[in-house]
Order: sequence, then C-alpha cells, then structure tokens
Amino acid sequence: MAEQLLDQARDIFEGQIDFEGQKLAELLVNIALSLVGALALFAGYFLQDIKLAVYLGLGGTAATFLLVVPPWPFFNKNPVKWLPVAGVAPPTNIVVDEKMFR
Amino acid sequence: MYSSVVRLQNTFGFFTTVAFVVASLVSLSDFLSARTPTVDLLKTTSLQVVKGRPHYYSSKKEEYAIIKFSLDADLSSLFTWNTKQVFVYVTAEWPSLGSQNNTNQAVIWDKIITAPSSDHLANIGPIERKRLKKSAGGKPIDPSRGKLQLKNQRYKYQITHPSGRIASQEDVVLKLHYNVQPWVGILTWNQEQTWGKWQALKGAASKKFALPALKKKDEGKKNKTTRT
Amino acid sequence: MLSSLGSPRQAAAQLMNFGLILSTAFMMWKGLSVITDSPSPIVVVLSGSMEPAFQRGDLLLLWNRNVIEETSVGEIVVYNVQGKDIPIVHRIIRKFGTGPEAKLLTKGDNNPADDTELYAAGQDYLNRKDIIGSVVGYIPFVGYVTIMLSEHPWMKTAMLGIMGLVVVLQRE
Repeated sequence: MAEQLLDQARDIFEGQIDFEGQKLAELLVNIALSLVGALALFAGYFLQDIKLAVYLGLGGTAATFLLVVPPWPFFNKNPVKWLPVAGVAPPTNIVVDEKMFR
Repeated sequence: MYSSVVRLQNTFGFFTTVAFVVASLVSLSDFLSARTPTVDLLKTTSLQVVKGRPHYYSSKKEEYAIIKFSLDADLSSLFTWNTKQVFVYVTAEWPSLGSQNNTNQAVIWDKIITAPSSDHLANIGPIERKRLKKSAGGKPIDPSRGKLQLKNQRYKYQITHPSGRIASQEDVVLKLHYNVQPWVGILTWNQEQTWGKWQALKGAASKKFALPALKKKDEGKKNKTTRT
Repeated sequence: MLSSLGSPRQAAAQLMNFGLILSTAFMMWKGLSVITDSPSPIVVVLSGSMEPAFQRGDLLLLWNRNVIEETSVGEIVVYNVQGKDIPIVHRIIRKFGTGPEAKLLTKGDNNPADDTELYAAGQDYLNRKDIIGSVVGYIPFVGYVTIMLSEHPWMKTAMLGIMGLVVVLQRE
C-alpha cells in the first residue's frame, strides 16, 4: 500500500515527458528567457525605470517556469512506440485471477 | 529535460545566465548617457577656529575649524535608471609643512541624494519619506534632485588635524566631490579628465583661503563662564 | 546512487570530478585575489551602516592596488581592526599625510558618528595596511543566501529536508 502510494507520488513528481517534448521544452526555455531578458532590458532603458526591468524579468521568469516545469500534455504528444520483442512469440492469452486477457 | 527536477534545474541555470548578461548590459548602459556636472559657485562664507575636546572625557584640547560655505552646483545629469544614489561631499584640503600637495583632506559636509527607485531605503522619517516620494511625482528618475543650492551652509563635521593645530593654516581650499552608486556595476567618482561621454567636473575647487587665528583667550573665558 | 559503490572505477571518477570542481573554484578565488591584491576580493555586506548605498546581502568587488593614485577621501574601503574578525565596509572621510603612514578616518554613511569607537583601544586612525580593498563594483542581493542560512538555522534544516524528499521521490 505504502509502496504503491510512493510510486504514485514518484510518478507525479517525476513529470516525465517524451523525447519530442524534451526538445520542445529546451527550445521554449531558451527562447522565452532570452525574450524576457531583452524585453526587461529595453523597456527599462527606454522608460529609464530599473524597477520595471526587475519586475518584468522576474515575472517573465516565473511564467517560463510555469510553462516548462510541469509535464503539460503538449510535451507528451509523441510517445515512444516500442518494437515488439523479437524472437519470442507474443503470448496469445494470459490468465490472471481466472480472467482472460488478450 | 525528461523529468520536472531536471527541467527546474536547467531553467534556473539559464535564468542565472540571462540575469547576469542583462545586469552587465545595464551597467554598461551607464557609458551611453552623458554626464555634464557643473559647479557655478563654491565659496566660504564664514571661518572660525575654536578650541575644544575630541570627546567629553578627553583631557587634550584641540583646535577646530568651523567653516560655512555657499554652493551652487548642477549634478542632475548623473541621475539615470541605473543610479541608486549620489553621494555628494565637500572636503577641505590643505598642504602639510614643506609640501606643495594637499596632503590633508577632511570632509566637512556630505549629502546622500537618493533616486526615486531607492527612496524606500533612505534612512529618514516617514514624513520626510512621503515628501521625498511626492517630490518625484511618480517618475522613475528625478534629475532635478541633483540641483544643489546651498547658502551659508553650516559644516556637518568640524575638522581638526592629528597635531591638534589648524589655526592660521594657509592655502586651504574647499572641493566638491561626488560618488555615483549604481544599482549594478561599477562605482564612479568625479573625474579630473573628460572620459567618453562623461565630462570632468570643472570649477569644483574654491579659491585658496587662510583659516583665522584662534579666537581670543578672554572670549573663550567668557564662553566658559556663561556655560558654568 | 548507491550502485556507484559497486564499481570502484565509477566512484573514483565521481570523486575526481568533485575534486576538480572544488579546486577550480578555489583557483579562481585565489587568482582573483592575486589580480586585485586583496585577501578577500569579493565580500558580502553584513551591516546596514552604509545604507542606502549597500544593503545587507549585497556583493562588493574590491580592488587593493594603488596604480593611479593613493586611496583617498570619499572611497569606500573594507578594513580590518586588530583583534576583530569581521571586516567593516565604510567610507574614508579624513586623510592626513601621504604614503603608508597616512592617517585615515572612516565613517558609515548611515552612522551619525565616525568610526573612532570601532577601532582598537588607543587607535585613532587607520593606516593603509589595515585596508583590504576599495569597493569598485557592486552587485545587489546575490549574497543574501549566505546571510539567511547563517541567521536562520531552520532554513538549513528545511533545505536538507527538501533535498531528502527529492532523493526519495527520484527514481534511479
């Protein structure tokens, strides 16, 4: 029971995403944070407002964290399709608890 | 990037890189804005030398110079988005015996001019703070605070010399200095030479003057009797 | 994590890697120390005596060479007092004489009085050798973590707890 709960907690905590999703996440982090930095710099410089720059930078960074850290569904659109195990004929039926699975 | 922890670490890592680059560019932006500080007037208005004690429990008596001055300066161009405060100070400088250089320097007056972005950090009372914030009128920077007009300003620090003697000292000058404290980057002081868009601070020194002799003894006695 | 104990080669490689990171950091610190000629080229502000210029937790970059001119009035210096461990960051307000024997007096911008009271008994002025560097660069807030950890011990416990949780929840 405890083991199962821990396993579930691990699943949620791990937040695994597929390979395409990992590529996308990397790209998103780089683009989003660079944009936020540039925006903060230019807005701050042209409006001569350092506080605005800090708030823009921190706010944008928080938004980026929210965008990439959780395993959003769009990071899991291309699940890996495993090949069937070669050489071993797939079992035709499995009996578990007197029920038949196919 | 397969798990949340790794994504958190990588994102934070890149955030520190971006923050460092942006901070560097902010500090470099200082060099883009011109600095044209001017001093229109700096002169002494009253000079006095009295005897006193460094601490109330000290048995040693020293001579103290008490200087009042007038100042008219415009440091408004020092205030940009990266200016946290400007520290303005007036020094008295005089040579030692047998030396041509001003080997003695002492601050007689200073002032912290905060930018609106650092008003909340200034060490002042709530009423004064409110007045200061109101004076900025909601603007992120307020260069008008850099306009200094002081008339017959009283010294903030009475000055002496380790030898205890300062009366009748000749060739004393007052000099205006400033120190720009940025939000991030290098600290800068007033310059002797123009450097890129930053102009030298000219006319920052007063005319040479001599401190008066010590106040007459009977005058001092009179003061003493009135005090006791 | 524990599996690395099984293969000594992997454990040794990890140890070497860790040692490399530590020695790189140490060399960079010492290199900076040589360039700036200061025993401690980067300091964290611990007191509010220079407010509003420096807050607690701000990072200061020091420079301890007199290439162009001597350390003089108006500079913000970090100095050590004999018999006290904690370096102090204050501004020089008086200087009498020149060279290594010049008498220097300091004061915190936010303090009403000068530092005579902070100096060692019988010491009225600082000398150049008491100074470990003049402040030339400023980075706000970055050093605040060290202050938080040293002043609020529960934060260390909380950090250890979070780390432990991450280890438990992470799959090999």
